[in-house]
Amino acid sequence: MKIVYSDVLVIGGGLSGLRAAVASSKRGHSTVVISLVPAKRSHSAAAQGGMQASLAAASASRGDNEDVHFSDTIKGSDWGADQDVARMFANTAPKAIRELATWGVPWSRIKAGEREVVVNAKKVTITEEKQAEGLITSRNFGGTKKWRTCFTADGTGHTMLYAMDNKAIELGIDIHERKEALALIHSDGICNGAVVRDLITGELTAYVAKATVVATGGYGRLYKISTNAIICEGMGAAIALETGVTPLGNMEAVQFHPTAIVPAGILTTEGCRGDGGLLLDKDHYRFMPDYEPDKKELASRDVVSRRMTEHIRKGKGVPSPYGDHLWLDIRLLGKEHIDKNLREVKEICQYFLGIDPVTDLIPVQPTQHYSMGGVRTKPTGETPGLKGLFSVGEASCWDMHGFNRLGGNSVAETVVAGMIVGEYIADYCDDNSVDIKTSIVNDFIEREQAKIEKLCARDSGENVYDLKETMQNIMMDKVGIFRTEEDLVAAVSELTELHQRAKNIAIKTKTRSSNPELVEAMRVPRMIKIALCTAMGAQARKESRGAHAREDYPERNDKEWLKRTLAYWKNEDDPTPTLEYEDLDIMRMEMPPGSRGYGKDLTIHHPDTEKRVAEVEKLKEANPDVNRHELSELLNPIDLPERLRGLNERVGIGYE
Amino acid sequence: MASTAEGMKSLLEDRVVKSKWPARLDLAQSLSGLGLGLFMWTHLILVSSILFGKDAMLAITHVMEASFLTPDEAGGYTLIPALTAVGVFGLFIVHACLAMRKFPSDWKAHKTFRSQMAMMNHSDTNGWYTQVVTGFIMFFLGSVHLYIMATQADKIGPQLSADRMWTYGMWPLYLILLFAVEMHGAIGMYRLAIKWGVFDGKDPRATRKRLKVLKTLVTVFFLSLGLASLAAYVKIGIENVENNRVGERYVAGQEG
Amino acid sequence: MSQSNGTAQKGRTLKFHILRFDPQLKGDKPRMETFEIEEQDSMTIFIGLNEIRKKYDASLQFDFVCRAGICGSCGMVINGRPDLACRTLTNTFPDGEITLLPLPAFELIGDLSVDTGKFMRNMSERMENWIHEEPDAEPRKLTVLEEKMDPDVATEIYELDRCIECGCCVSACGTARMRKDFLGAVGFMHVARFEMDPRDKRTDEDWYDLIGDDDGVFGCMSLMGCEDNCPKDLPHQNRIAYLRRKMVSAGT
Ligand SMILES: Cc1cc2nc3c(=O)[nH]c(=O)nc-3n(C[C@H](O)[C@H](O)[C@H](O)COP(=O)(O)OP(=O)(O)OC[C@H]3O[C@@H](n4cnc5c(N)ncnc54)[C@H](O)[C@@H]3O)c2cc1C
Ligand code: HEM
Ligand code: HEM
Ligand code: SF4
Ligand code: F3S
Ligand code: FES
Repeated sequence: MKIVYSDVLVIGGGLSGLRAAVASSKRGHSTVVISLVPAKRSHSAAAQGGMQASLAAASASRGDNEDVHFSDTIKGSDWGADQDVARMFANTAPKAIRELATWGVPWSRIKAGEREVVVNAKKVTITEEKQAEGLITSRNFGGTKKWRTCFTADGTGHTMLYAMDNKAIELGIDIHERKEALALIHSDGICNGAVVRDLITGELTAYVAKATVVATGGYGRLYKISTNAIICEGMGAAIALETGVTPLGNMEAVQFHPTAIVPAGILTTEGCRGDGGLLLDKDHYRFMPDYEPDKKELASRDVVSRRMTEHIRKGKGVPSPYGDHLWLDIRLLGKEHIDKNLREVKEICQYFLGIDPVTDLIPVQPTQHYSMGGVRTKPTGETPGLKGLFSVGEASCWDMHGFNRLGGNSVAETVVAGMIVGEYIADYCDDNSVDIKTSIVNDFIEREQAKIEKLCARDSGENVYDLKETMQNIMMDKVGIFRTEEDLVAAVSELTELHQRAKNIAIKTKTRSSNPELVEAMRVPRMIKIALCTAMGAQARKESRGAHAREDYPERNDKEWLKRTLAYWKNEDDPTPTLEYEDLDIMRMEMPPGSRGYGKDLTIHHPDTEKRVAEVEKLKEANPDVNRHELSELLNPIDLPERLRGLNERVGIGYE
Repeated sequence: MASTAEGMKSLLEDRVVKSKWPARLDLAQSLSGLGLGLFMWTHLILVSSILFGKDAMLAITHVMEASFLTPDEAGGYTLIPALTAVGVFGLFIVHACLAMRKFPSDWKAHKTFRSQMAMMNHSDTNGWYTQVVTGFIMFFLGSVHLYIMATQADKIGPQLSADRMWTYGMWPLYLILLFAVEMHGAIGMYRLAIKWGVFDGKDPRATRKRLKVLKTLVTVFFLSLGLASLAAYVKIGIENVENNRVGERYVAGQEG
Repeated sequence: MSQSNGTAQKGRTLKFHILRFDPQLKGDKPRMETFEIEEQDSMTIFIGLNEIRKKYDASLQFDFVCRAGICGSCGMVINGRPDLACRTLTNTFPDGEITLLPLPAFELIGDLSVDTGKFMRNMSERMENWIHEEPDAEPRKLTVLEEKMDPDVATEIYELDRCIECGCCVSACGTARMRKDFLGAVGFMHVARFEMDPRDKRTDEDWYDLIGDDDGVFGCMSLMGCEDNCPKDLPHQNRIAYLRRKMVSAGT
C-alpha cells in the first residue's frame, strides 16, 4: 500500500484550493495539492469578467466600500446567505485583490482623463481623476450598486490562476496532477485524507493528512448544457456526501447565466452587458427595460435569465435547431473596446460561431452556470460533520451566495475563502496530529479497489454514457430555470430509478491504467447522487428564492423557508438522500430580510424580521456617534484571522 | 596549495557566472552570415558584368585588382583578390563552424527534424533545412572555388574565367553552387531580419509577410542573373574552344 | 489564425484518422485507426471525438477541460498543424478528412493525450515564473493602496499573460523537437512577460543566467513555427527577437 503523508491535503488545484494551500504552506505546514488536470487548467481559468472588491478607485465606483459590497451580496443572495460569512468576505476582498496585484496579476488600471463608455445604450463621458491613475480599475456588473468588478481585460480568472499557481510553485508546494480523489479517509468523526487514483497508471494511493480540503469546484455538468468545464462534475461534493456524516448545503441553488452562446453553451461574460451590451429579441427590440425598468440588462443574473425565458415563452425568441434564443448586442461598444476588453468573447464568437461581434449579433440563451450549493461548512471552512475536513470555493457552501451569486463574487470568494479558511486550516494543523490506524487507511483503499474490480468484472449491464445523458436531460428539462412540482416529482423519481440502474454499469474497456470509460463509470453514479440531492432539495423547497424559481410558489417565503437545506446520504444503500434543515437566524442578521427590488415584492415575511429591523434601528439610535466600521462591529461582530484584520485604504479618503 | 585554491575559484566562477560565449557566438554567427550574404550579392553583381560584355567584366576585374594604382592601369595587383579570397574563406569557415553547431547532432535528431517537416509543411521550418543542406553543399563546393580563387587569382578575367567554366569543366560546380548560395543566402538574410527584429516596426507580422515576398523576389532575381552570367561564360568558353583561344588573356577593347 | 467559416454540411460523413497507442499497455504498438461519423451543425473536433468514444471506442484517450479554447488542454496535431481541437469546427475541412496526432515533444499518455503539465511545471520552475521582489523587500501591507502601474504597461503584460500553456508552440518547433533541453517558445513568452513587469526586479544579468545559452534564446533558430501556430496569437516573432537583442547586449 502506498501512502503519501502531509500536513494538509488539498483536493483541487483551482483558485480556491491553491490559495488555501499557499496559506497553510506559508504557515509552515507541508501541503500537497491534487488535481484532475494541471492546476492552470482548472475551471477558474475560464472566469472572464472579473472579481468584485470595493476598491472604489474608478470614478463610477466612488463611494463604494465593504458595506455596500456586503449589502449587494446579501440582496443578491435573496437573504439566503450567511451574513457573518458575507461580512468576512466583503471586508477581506480588497486585501485579496491587492495581494494578487503583488503576485503578478496585471489588473487593468485606471487612465486619468476622459473616456467614453456606454451606459443604458448611450455614450457617456466619464472622467478619471489624476490621483487615481495607475490604480486598479473596475467595471459594471449585474446586481451591484457601484462599478466594483476588477478585471484584466476579459481574462481575469486566467491571470489570477496563473499568478496563484506560480506562487504555489515559488513556495515549492507539491502539486500532483492527473489524480482523482475517490473517497475521503475518515473514522470517529475525523477526516484524515483521501484515497486517490492516478489517472495515468491507475494506481491507488492513500494521501494521509491532518487536514483535508475539498476545493473541487462546482457540479454544473449535471446539466446537459452548461458553461462549466467538462470536469465540473461535483466529485468533491460527492465524496463528502458519501462519508454519510457530513451534509451538502442548498444543492437546489443552481444559477443560470443569461448569456451563453447557442449551441455550444460557452459563456460570454457579464462584462458584455456591464460594459453596455444589450439584449434584443427576434425583432431586434430591447426588451429588458419593459421587465426591469430600473436595472434593465444589469439586473441580477437569476432575474435576467428568468426574464429572458419569459420573453422567449411569449414567442419573441429567435427560432433555431437548438431551441429559441435571443440576441446579445455589443456592437455599440465599438471595435476598439471589444478588441481590448472583450477579446476572449471575440475569439469565442469567431471560432465557435464564425461571427464578428463588432458587426454581428451574438445568439445567446440562459445556461447553467454556477453551483451555489456544495459541501456545507462553518465560517471557518470546516465541515459540521467531520473534524479536519474543510471546503473552499465553488465546491463549498460556505454560504456567502445564498440562493444567487453575484457576477464577480465567485473568483473573489475563491481567493478570499482561500485566505481566511487557509489560516483556520493552519490553526487546525498547529493543534492536531494525524492519529489514524494504518489498518483503517488500508480498509479505505481496499474498498475502492474492490469497487473497481467489481466494475471491471461485470460483463453486461448499463451503458455509462447513456445513463449520464439521461441524467443530464432530466436535470435540464425538469430542474431548470423555472421549476414546478410536477416536473420535480418526476425528476426525483426518474433519478431514483437511474440511481438503481447505475449500480449495474458494465464497461467494455477493462484496462486498469488510464481508461476514460472506467473514470466515467466511477463518476456517473455519484453524479446521479448529487443530482438527486439537487432535485429533492428543489422539490421540497416550496418557495422561490434567488435562482430557485418555483412557478407554483412564486413568493419568497421567509416565514417557512428562511433555512438552508442540508442533504445527507446516511447509508450507502439508501435509495435517496435525507434532507434536513438549518434555520437562518434573523435576530443575528446585520441586514434583516427586505425586498431585492425586482418586479413586485411577493415576500412572505418572517415575524422576526420586523423585530430585528426595530432592533437594528434602536442600536443605531443608541449609538449616534459611531462610524460605519464600529456600527458593523456592533451589528455583526465577526472573527477574522489576525493577519487579515485591518481597515482598507481607498484613494482620496484613506481609511474612512 | 595556492594553485588548488585558484582552481577552486575558477571552478566556482564557472558555475556561478554564466558564460558570455553563447551571446558572442550567436552574434558572430549572424554577423558572419550577414557579411557573407552581402559579399555574395555584390560578388554576383560583379561576376554578372560579363553580361555587359567582356570589356565590362575586364574593367571590373581591374577595379578589383586596384589596377588604377598600377602605373599602366592594366593588369593589377592580383594579390588583392587572392587575399580577399583568403579573407572570405576565413569568414566562410568561421560561419560554417558556428552554424554547424546547429546541425542536427545525430541521425536521430535529423530524423526527428524530417518528421517535423513532414508533419507541418511549414515554410520557415523547411527553409532552415534548406539552409542546412545548401550549407553542407557549399562547405565542399565553396571551398573548392575559394581555393582556386585564392591560388589562381591571376586567372580571373572574361576569357580565363570562361575557360575555367567550360574547358576545365567547372560549370556544373558553379551551377550547383549558384543555387545553393542563392537559396541559402536569401533565406539567411530573411532569417536575420526576423531573428533580430530589425525591421519589425509597428506591425511585425505584416513586416514578416513583406520580407518573405522580398526574399522570394531577391532569390529569383539573383538566380536569373547568375544563370544568365553562367550561360554567358559558357558561351564564351565554347567560342574559345572553337576559336582555339583557350588560355588566352583578354585584352581590353579586343572585341569592341 | 483566421477561421474560414464554411457552410454547415449536416449529414456529411467525416473520417477521423487517429493515432492510437497506449504506452501503459505492454506490447501495444502505434497505429492509425479510422472512424466515420456523421457531421452535425457547428460540430467541433471535441464533439466529434466524444461521439467516437461513445459510439465506437470508449477507450479513446484525449484531454478536454474547458472546451472553449481557454484552458489549453486540447492541443493536438490536426491535419499537420498543432492547434486547439475544442475550437476547431469540422466544417473547416472541405474533404471531411481529419487526421489527429498527439502533440509531439511531450510525453505521451495515450492516444491523443500528452503530458504538457509536467513540461510546463518544469519550465516554470526553471524560469522561476513568478514575481521576484527585491531580495530584502518588506512584504507589502494588504490594507494600503496597491502600487500604481501604468495602464498601458498592464495591458501589454496581459498580452503576454494570455498564453494558455497549450504547448502548440513547442510542438511546432523543430528545435524543441531535436533538443530536449531547449526551453521552447512558451518559456520565452513567460520570460518576456516577467521581464516587462515593473514588479519583477530581476536584472538583465539575472535573465541572462536563465536564457543566455543554447538551451535558451541563443538556441532558437527562428523557425517561426511558434509564431504561426500559437492559438492565442502571442507575439513570438517580435518578443523572441527582443529577448535576443537584450541578451546579446547583456552578454557582450
Ligand atoms: C465560463 C465561466 C466564467 C466565469 N466567470 C466568472 C467571473 O467573471 N467572475 C467570477 O467571480 N466568477 C466567474 N465564474 C465562476 C468561477 O470561475 C468559479 O466559480 C471559480 O473559479 C471556482 O473556483 P474553484 O477553485 O472553486 O474551483 P475550480 O477552479 O473549478 O477548480 C476545481 C479543481 O478541483 C479539481 N478536482 C475536481 N474534482 C477532483 C477530484 N475528485 N480529485 C482531485 N481533484 C479534483 C480540478 O482538477 C480543479 O483543479 C465563471 C464560471 C464560468 C463557468
Ligand atoms: C573572395 C572570394 C571570391 C572570389 C574572388 C570569387 C570570384 C569569382 C569569379 C571570378 C567568378 C567567375 C567564374 C570564375 O572565374 O571561375 C565566380 C563565380 C562564382 N562564384 Fe565566386 N568568388 C569568391 C567567393 C565565392 C563564394 C564564397 C561563393 C559561394 C560559396 C562563390 C560562388 C560563386 C558562384 C556560384 C559563381 C558562379 C556565378 C554565376 O553563375 O554567374 N564565390 N566567383
Ligand atoms: C560552409 C558553408 C556554410 C554552411 C555550412 C552554412 C550553414 C548555415 C546554417 C546551418 C545556418 C543556420 C544557422 C541557425 O539556424 O542559427 C546558416 C545561417 C546563415 N548563413 Fe550560412 N552556411 C554556409 C555558408 C554561407 C554563405 C556562403 C552565406 C552567404 C550567402 C551564408 C549566409 C548565411 C546567413 C545570412 C545566415 C543567417 C544567420 C543567422 O541565422 O544567424 N552562409 N548558415
Ligand atoms: S505561447 Fe501560444 S502556443 Fe505556446 S503555449 Fe502559450 S498559448 Fe500555447
Ligand atoms: S519555432 Fe522554435 S526555433 Fe525559435 S522561433 Fe519559435 S522557438
Ligand atoms: S479544452 Fe480548453 S482549450 Fe480546448
